Amino acid sequence: MKITDACVYPFPLGDSSIRRFALEARSYGYDSIVAADTSAADISGVTVMPGLFLSGLPAKDIQSRAKKSRGTGMVVAVQLGDNGFNRAVAGTNGIHILRGIHAADKRAFDHVAAKIAADNNTALDIDLSVLIFGRGHLRQKAIHRYIDLMILYRRFEFPLTLSSSAQSVLGLRAVREVTGLCSLFGMDETDVQVALAGVGRVTEPGESIVKVIT
Amino acid sequence: MSIRPPTLREKRRYLLARIDPAGIPVETKDLYYAVYEAVVSLFGDVAAAAMQPSVLAIEKGHAILRCRRGSEREFAIALSTLSGCRDCTVALRVLAVSGTIESLRERIATLMPEVSAASGQDIVPKPEGTADAGTCGYQFGDLVVEPVASYGHKVDVIEKGFKNTRRLFLTTEDLEKIHATTIPDGL
Repeated sequence: MKITDACVYPFPLGDSSIRRFALEARSYGYDSIVAADTSAADISGVTVMPGLFLSGLPAKDIQSRAKKSRGTGMVVAVQLGDNGFNRAVAGTNGIHILRGIHAADKRAFDHVAAKIAADNNTALDIDLSVLIFGRGHLRQKAIHRYIDLMILYRRFEFPLTLSSSAQSVLGLRAVREVTGLCSLFGMDETDVQVALAGVGRVTEPGESIVKVIT
Repeated sequence: MSIRPPTLREKRRYLLARIDPAGIPVETKDLYYAVYEAVVSLFGDVAAAAMQPSVLAIEKGHAILRCRRGSEREFAIALSTLSGCRDCTVALRVLAVSGTIESLRERIATLMPEVSAASGQDIVPKPEGTADAGTCGYQFGDLVVEPVASYGHKVDVIEKGFKNTRRLFLTTEDLEKIHATTIPDGL
């Protein structure tokens, strides 16, 4: 079971090199990270997975981009939008993670979208940077969304991922700190462990629905 | 209020936290305000009053903090939301919780030689912008950079330039010595 940070932004998007991110991630208890604008690598025992983060595109474009990236080993993450968009992308093969629920509308991710995500093995991402760097209304809204998400998670059991969205190594948080932050919206230690392993769950090839028995 | 006898005093817990990045000059008072703001913004005034957060000292890049016994978990969560102190971006990494300050000081003493041995040199991170004038140049990609702190394979550098003086977090493998093909071990 890999312990993964589902989103970091290394240099030039951030101020830390991917090697430094890998070193720090290892010291904080992670064994893999998903990084934007990088290629797959194994640095100091930490697996770096390339991430494709899509936002602001229509559903059709996202579906074609997801189709193109199939088999490349990339982790495809899509920023959530309105309800119809979310249902469309949650049911698209090749999209691994739906991000940005803290910024989405209250009704953007409902029980139907949750069911589609669970059936399609698409993960919902919990972005901890809002809790770390946000203050006031922004953070309150994020905590509220995450509480709602946990209610749907307990009912439909879709995969969850946890990300720091760190642009610097200073934005990374240790697994112990992540557990503390997640307790703010009702995640216990087991949930956190499962969520940290969520990227591995959504990227591994799933079992075929139809089995041929000879 | 007069000082109460020891048996009537409320119990305290002391936290040891490393201040990242190394070499950033942080005043105790500034850190106290930053910590207090983090606690109040996350848990509110009532919880902050019950928690009684305080910064006691900053020693060798580590901060010794205090809170009431029983609230150390919430205090650690609040500390993980701390992202800046005055104009500097900092992060506090909680390393230990103890009932006495003395044991945390002993912990600092045990931590420092470990780090020094790992890097193979004494760690005296210089304040930003005070690198030796005679140091050789390094570059990271196209950027000319100046190392300000190093520990193990980790190197913090400052981008050289008229306007850009941001701090970059790299490793020795990322750096390239200007007009050379190898990086000396003594970086």
